Amino acid sequence: MSAVRPAASPLGGPSPRRLGRLHWRGLLTLYLREVDRFRRSALEGIGGMMVSNGLFLAVFSVALPADAARSLGLTPLQFLLPGLATYAVLLTAFEYAAFPILFDKLEGMIADLLMSPLSPLETLCGYVAAAVTCSLLVGAVLLVPLGFIVDLPFPDPGRALLVAALGALLFALLGFLTGLWASKWDRYALVETFVVLPLGLLSGTVFTLDALPPTAQAIALGNPVFYVIDGVRHGVAGIGDTGLATAVALLLVLDAVLFLFAWRLLARGWRIKP
Amino acid sequence: MQQLSSSSPHFDLADQVAPRPRGFGRSNLLGLWTLYLKEVRRFISVITQTVMAPMVTALLFLAVFTLALGRGGSAVEGFPYAVFLAPGLIMMTMLQNAFANTSSSMVISKVQGNIVDVLMPPLSPAELVLGYAGGGLTRGLLVGCATALAMRPFVPFGIHDAFFLLYHAAMASLMLSLLGLIGGIWAEKFDHIAAVTNFIIVPASFLSGTFYAVHNLPGNWVLVAHLNPFFYLIDGFRFGLIGWHDGNLLVGLLLVATVNAILFLVALRMFSRGYKLKP
Repeated sequence: MSAVRPAASPLGGPSPRRLGRLHWRGLLTLYLREVDRFRRSALEGIGGMMVSNGLFLAVFSVALPADAARSLGLTPLQFLLPGLATYAVLLTAFEYAAFPILFDKLEGMIADLLMSPLSPLETLCGYVAAAVTCSLLVGAVLLVPLGFIVDLPFPDPGRALLVAALGALLFALLGFLTGLWASKWDRYALVETFVVLPLGLLSGTVFTLDALPPTAQAIALGNPVFYVIDGVRHGVAGIGDTGLATAVALLLVLDAVLFLFAWRLLARGWRIKP
Repeated sequence: MQQLSSSSPHFDLADQVAPRPRGFGRSNLLGLWTLYLKEVRRFISVITQTVMAPMVTALLFLAVFTLALGRGGSAVEGFPYAVFLAPGLIMMTMLQNAFANTSSSMVISKVQGNIVDVLMPPLSPAELVLGYAGGGLTRGLLVGCATALAMRPFVPFGIHDAFFLLYHAAMASLMLSLLGLIGGIWAEKFDHIAAVTNFIIVPASFLSGTFYAVHNLPGNWVLVAHLNPFFYLIDGFRFGLIGWHDGNLLVGLLLVATVNAILFLVALRMFSRGYKLKP
């Protein structure tokens, strides 16, 4: 795509704007367009997440045996809220990365993006950064007000934010790859149902690791979402099973692998160029 | 057509009469059947999204809630938690999918403009309601069967009372199909129907006894629950499957039938007046 970049015309006339090594203004424009897309449906997006999380909290507070969370020194709601908010962050990151690329592709609007002088790297960064931003926003809206109501201690918010951002990046990249791959909405639902939901729900969102039989514990420890939720819970509720270094290292490696993969696919124009 | 072709050597004026319209009696059964098939094929063609996905989600809910709430073999009303939960989750899945089928069909047709293809043919309002609701009913029952079969290897439940099981499964799917149809006719864009789903249908299907015995609720909430038709659907279905119920079964049978009759009349009136459908 770099060959498409305009050079100064030798014949005079209006010369195209010069771009540096990175087309910052184009990247920012794409990012803002994607954030704006979120803003227009933010009420339903955030409202829907608040309702579904409120429902989970209501059901659990009626039905949860209190001993499990209490053994950790927390009330059930203090235990559940960070897990549910993190799950909402990851789901939103996936949806807001997959939806735009798939929608633009199916509606033919992807041409606008391919025609603009954006390199594959800039395109990927624009989409993914917007999805991460929006998902963290959803998480903050869910976690912070309710967190004060259920009296979470918030010992290390920076740690929670770091781990949540790395997790959101992972799911945004997963969503972007799904959007590239899918040829219809049905395929998107396939990935969401068979990959994202199991990863998200079977990971310590609503239960502690010791609720699982030993083999299932080993499987859960191989689930990256477990480290994200554990890290966030560590940061906002003060309890957790794993260290920060393990979580950050694991998530960084996974993020890097998926990022490179998505970048190469985009550079080859896989499924978006004829 | 062959008779009208000019290549025929015995071309006769008497053959030139216009093709007669197909006659039908009081009810256009072929038209109704065609609309019903259209509605069923619509969701079958994306079966991953419409049947498989809800089934897997219900299984995940079963796993997660059993792990979180049923630890140490704790029992609800004398049943292992998974056994108590399974009928609730099957019913919840049926409710949400029956609603999704008719509401999405109607809103997509309206937004894309192909609703005229349904309004132009000689179908009466009653046939339109039955065709759409039949599609939603089929999706609800199909998703319910798929979910029940997928859960059966993990959760030991049998059929306690086939009549209650089938009656409540059918009534629930029909009720939510009709609600979806009414919601779809009312909605002007996807956002509207998403709001109804998120703020009414999902909460109602979550909080009506899917996960817990309603009589354990605090104070006045028990009364609120007993005024909620969704509660009787879940309760009656649970009785049909595992033989335990919370509310009055006879009240449930009559109430859900009454609600369905009212919803049918509302949908009928919307079609016959062309509410938000005809200019």
